[in-house]
Amino acid sequence: MSRLAGIITASDLETRNQSLDAFCREASAEKLLAECEALERLRLERDSLYERVRSLFFLSAIHRFHLPGKPGVAEQGRVPFSGYNHLLQRRFVEAIREFLAGQKSQGPNNSISSALAAAYKGLAFQTLADQVRRSVRSVRGNQWMFRTGHPADAPLRICRVLTEREAQSGLYPVLREATPVRMDLSHSGWSDIFFLGMDYPEGARVFNTSIDLAVLGSAQAVPRPPVEASFRVIDEPLLRLVSVDLGASADITSMAEVFDYGRDYLGLLKAAIIAAGIVPPGMEGSGQSLEDLLARLTGHPGCGIEIVSRVNDIPKGSRLAVSTNLLASLISVCMRATGQIRNLSGGLEESDRRIVAARAILGEWLGGSGGGWQDSGGVWPGMKLIEGVIAQPGDVEYGISRGCLLPRHRVFPLDEITADTRRRLQESLVLVHGGMAQDVGPILEMVTEKYLLRGEAEWKARLQATRILDEIIDCLRRSDIRGVGACTQRNFDGPIQAIIPWAANHYTQQLIRAAREEFGQDFWGFWMLGGMAGGGMGFLFAPEVKPRAQRRMGEIMRAAKRSLDRAVPFAMEPVVYDFTINERGTWAELFSGSDALMPSAYYSLRVPELVRRDSRTLSPAQRRELESFGEACRREPGLAGMVHHLFDRLIPHAGATASHTSGSLETLLAAHGFDPVQHQKIRADLRGGRIGLSQNRLPISSRVEDVLPDDVIDARRPLPATLLRLGQDAISEGAVAVLSLAGGIGTRWTKGAGVVKALNPFAKLGGCHRNFVEIHLAKSRKTAALFGRPVPHVLTTSYMTHAAIHDSLTRAANYGYSGPLLLSPGRSIGLRLIPTARDLRFAWEEMPQQILDVQKQKVRDSVRAALIHWARSMGEGADYTDNLPEQCLHPVGHWYEVPNLLRNGVLKRLLDENPKLRYLMLHNIDTLGASLDPALLGLHIDSGAALTAEVIGREVEDRGGGLARIDGKVRLIEGLALPDERVEFDLSFYNSNTMWISIPRLLDIFGLSPADLGDEEKSAEAVRAVAARMPTYVTIKDVMKRWGKGQEDIYPVAQFEKLWGDMTALPDFDCRYAVVPRLRGQQLKEVAQLDGWLRDGSAAYVESLCAW
Amino acid sequence: MRIRKAVVTAASPSQRRLPLQNLIDRDGRERSVLGILLEEIVQAKIEEICIVICPGDADVYAEVAGDHAGRVRFIEQDQPRGYGHAVWCARDFIGREPFLHLVSDHLHVSRDTRGCAAKIVSLAEAEECAVSAVQATREGLLTQFGAVGGQRVPGDDPLYRIDTVLEKPTPTEAEQKIIVPGLRAGSYLCFFGIHVLTPAVMDLLGEHLARAGDQRISLSSALAELPTRERYLALQLNDRRYDLGARYGLLHAQLALALNGHDRDEILSQLVELLAQRDCPANGSEQ
Repeated sequence: MSRLAGIITASDLETRNQSLDAFCREASAEKLLAECEALERLRLERDSLYERVRSLFFLSAIHRFHLPGKPGVAEQGRVPFSGYNHLLQRRFVEAIREFLAGQKSQGPNNSISSALAAAYKGLAFQTLADQVRRSVRSVRGNQWMFRTGHPADAPLRICRVLTEREAQSGLYPVLREATPVRMDLSHSGWSDIFFLGMDYPEGARVFNTSIDLAVLGSAQAVPRPPVEASFRVIDEPLLRLVSVDLGASADITSMAEVFDYGRDYLGLLKAAIIAAGIVPPGMEGSGQSLEDLLARLTGHPGCGIEIVSRVNDIPKGSRLAVSTNLLASLISVCMRATGQIRNLSGGLEESDRRIVAARAILGEWLGGSGGGWQDSGGVWPGMKLIEGVIAQPGDVEYGISRGCLLPRHRVFPLDEITADTRRRLQESLVLVHGGMAQDVGPILEMVTEKYLLRGEAEWKARLQATRILDEIIDCLRRSDIRGVGACTQRNFDGPIQAIIPWAANHYTQQLIRAAREEFGQDFWGFWMLGGMAGGGMGFLFAPEVKPRAQRRMGEIMRAAKRSLDRAVPFAMEPVVYDFTINERGTWAELFSGSDALMPSAYYSLRVPELVRRDSRTLSPAQRRELESFGEACRREPGLAGMVHHLFDRLIPHAGATASHTSGSLETLLAAHGFDPVQHQKIRADLRGGRIGLSQNRLPISSRVEDVLPDDVIDARRPLPATLLRLGQDAISEGAVAVLSLAGGIGTRWTKGAGVVKALNPFAKLGGCHRNFVEIHLAKSRKTAALFGRPVPHVLTTSYMTHAAIHDSLTRAANYGYSGPLLLSPGRSIGLRLIPTARDLRFAWEEMPQQILDVQKQKVRDSVRAALIHWARSMGEGADYTDNLPEQCLHPVGHWYEVPNLLRNGVLKRLLDENPKLRYLMLHNIDTLGASLDPALLGLHIDSGAALTAEVIGREVEDRGGGLARIDGKVRLIEGLALPDERVEFDLSFYNSNTMWISIPRLLDIFGLSPADLGDEEKSAEAVRAVAARMPTYVTIKDVMKRWGKGQEDIYPVAQFEKLWGDMTALPDFDCRYAVVPRLRGQQLKEVAQLDGWLRDGSAAYVESLCAW
Repeated sequence: MRIRKAVVTAASPSQRRLPLQNLIDRDGRERSVLGILLEEIVQAKIEEICIVICPGDADVYAEVAGDHAGRVRFIEQDQPRGYGHAVWCARDFIGREPFLHLVSDHLHVSRDTRGCAAKIVSLAEAEECAVSAVQATREGLLTQFGAVGGQRVPGDDPLYRIDTVLEKPTPTEAEQKIIVPGLRAGSYLCFFGIHVLTPAVMDLLGEHLARAGDQRISLSSALAELPTRERYLALQLNDRRYDLGARYGLLHAQLALALNGHDRDEILSQLVELLAQRDCPANGSEQ
């Protein structure tokens, strides 16, 4: 039997917990491939979820991390397009079959292994998602909802007490549920991920506490349950959903609209309605009438339901599971109203809480979001230990997974953790929201993968995390709050970061350092809430300093944010909370008579709309409600300011805000050399359909072929010593400078958040968090030290990055870089446009797309339909101005970043200060492996070419063009210019965008001499002339718009750009191509790549190039 | 065990007129609903019948009791304290004997010549324990009936040993608490409206009433406790029950009786004629 299959199928824990890495390090390629065959058989033959999934992760890791680089595995191969297409369509099994066939015919190679790694990983996560979905559907109490497909079959009825109006007030009663949120003292290394709980129930343990909140310094003085859900019957045959905090409401009249989650901000409410069985999931696509269903539910034809949600001042990304607890609150109120929970008001029984939690998991799945099984902990009271449960005969999970989907909750009684201890915890803990709202999804995927691979260090850390949880409980039993702080700090410094280094970040470390410096012994420890640090966090202090600590932590966070807010994506200003432990869990109250009113903020939202209507069109209930609300305004002191509110909403101060925004946008445009004539032409061309995504492509008649072996020089092998010496001499005499392209904002890195990617402190290297600029300077420092001569280093910037990079360099004293360091500011700027529906459809429907898991894809389709509607309603091709001014502008592509050197005097200054300077090494900010390699420089010098471009062997994730022969000419081609996406898979090499440029030849192509560089007009004219020869691409980029409390919307915008790689298409520009190792040429485009980058040796390689 | 007595509840204020309605029975005779019910009971060899009524209804009920009026005794439910209380009102009539119990707003139509009540009574006498008639009911109708869960008793009869009784559960609750092996997904065993109950049920009702204060009590809550005290079975019937209180309930019951009796052909042809007239164009049709 294979060794790895033996590890997976072993029943004894010692064998089962062995690490994959330990085995693979020593194994030969041949042995690994034999193991892969055995694992492939195992995954096909076994029923056990754990065995299948672990086999898949083993296979993925072997192909991703262990096979590449082993003797016998070729560096280069070709990924079959058909397999790639299966991968995009989530047909993982077919993709694996195609890739294995490719491996058989081509022999093992890095390209195929990269594709197999992606396919196996995709299938592993798909298998897990399918199992969670099956388990959620088969939880007893949920099954019937998937069988109910017609209103006549709908079994639920709304309780009579809610369907009868009170005679005197004429109002229907309102049922209101108030639910605390949860904070976790420890999640034992993210053990609340569903799969971990289902596979390793013994290790799945979370200490979770229900809390009420208030934002310190806000109008609400006393902490209260942060989420509320209200339910009532209305005398209109529709479903009215209102989110008070998001300011959104919808009157839903069709069944299809209920299942359209991405259409508006009410997806969570819709998911709750469905998961609560009000509109059972079986009704989706039935085409049945919502009105009939509502009539059956209420027992009164013509009646409907109104559901209102409210989150009190808690921003998104709080790591307190606000959305899951809101979902649970909504589900609970709906289940009470329909008799699925026996108690209409008050608390819940344990069996009710469990079914609410199960329904919340279902709702999360329906809404396409994810969460851990502890997240609905706010439904339970006080402090509790939530633990995985081993599946027993009779459980739906039995025989499939070791554990059950739903955990067990053990609420700590007051004699175990006393009221005094709880009070002391409250007196010590400063709970904050740091302002960052990050996506925790990639972290959870990394944890799952690492758990199954049992990396030695990570597994040890997991076991340590479990022990720390016990210590925390022990401390609480002993009322040792200082001990709790020590444990949570140790948990964060130790196991959490050992498992996932990315859970910590520069910002958080800065806060911890500041707290420690300022409070010394009175700072007891940091406490990471939820999946990662930066959003919701806790700091434990000695009780006597807590009031000062609350105030100071607010100030410290705001100062840290100010210093980092162009480098780190903050969603909002940091806040400090006041909190109390909630000892009763979710709780409902029934309001009737004149008290049957919705929350006051509901009326701020709804009344203006009702007042604008003709009073004759108001239903009797609406009229009575307005009367009652009016009376309440006169009576209740809490509603005293309502009249002002209503006036503000009826007549908003729109004019002032709009003119302020447009004013600063105009200033910015003028300041950055915006060319309105060119913009108008582009806009007219876009509207007229003359340019667009489909027009980016070369004519279909173009002949696109892979390059021939002689078209490239393979620099993956050592180059001749003569070239090495040539390069070394050039560096020693100061003939080369580094040009780092830092004008772009890295849209994919932060999903359009508008921060400067170059300054993002993304990884710990040399013991602390470093940003991209710092790493590139560290490489130049090492080169300079090696060759005994300073290396001139230029950072190109744009309107978005210049000030931030300049400030950051000034603050950090050039990160200690003593060589010449110049900034080359951008000279061009564009104004973003609303995209055309045609281009959006092209991007989303015609270009190959990664399909998502079924429910997430449904949500994405719905969002995209809404965005196409948005583009049409805003005016296709119109200027995009509905955002912060900086977010409306765009850099116009990196082509301009080189000619800018000619126009802004930087090249002149470089040449003046370094008379022997003849070469530039240009690279992208995210190509971290690019360094002044003397052999490659020698190669370029020796060739006498104008430009030598570095390319890498294509792997599956390398999308976006490459090196090709286009109609016989070897050149770099952008992916968006390829006439057919399948052509890309025939191209062996991918463009790393690292290029060696001869300065004299560069000046030649622009028709300039070194002496002309001082002549601004002549340089500008020369640049314009070459620019006219470059193609202009229309691209769709994501831009983030922030609003409310940490809410973020992502909009697609159209912009245009020219790209430097197209210089290789000029017939009079002599270009050569060198194939370099992947470690040197690969780019870091997305945060999700980081873990692989760390594990596959890339980070260590980069570190070896640096001197700090 | 011999079952001699029966209790019929007819005290629900909203349904007190239903037993007084006239229908044509399977033999083509015009009879009151109460008369048909009493016939069903008498066929089960019951000797004494008690009808629990609203105060003041005795005379009208006696009028329509027909041939079996002599066996009937009326007891008034003086307070509207629920179905369980109505049954409990007959405690003195029952004494310590087992008894047959039917509700007055349902009609039961057997698929064979043997009455539904007779089947339950003979089974209860043979098994010497409480028995409820049940029927497989789809989950969409669950909220109208009491539902039971339990294990199948080996043998030919579709007989179950009851361990759980829920009163009008939601499917959410039913899925979690009721397990009946062998039943298709989404179906539950729900009460058919005929029971043979033991004196223990009266004891339980008495205890529940004492605990409930002024609140109403249900029969199901007492039946839910019965399995903890004694053996309690359910017999699954394939016969039909008709809820007269439902919309078109009386019409539905009448059609069912007629289509199962002597006048089947006549009713069928009248129905066809009705349908044909509805679908024919108005002009030129013969009257």
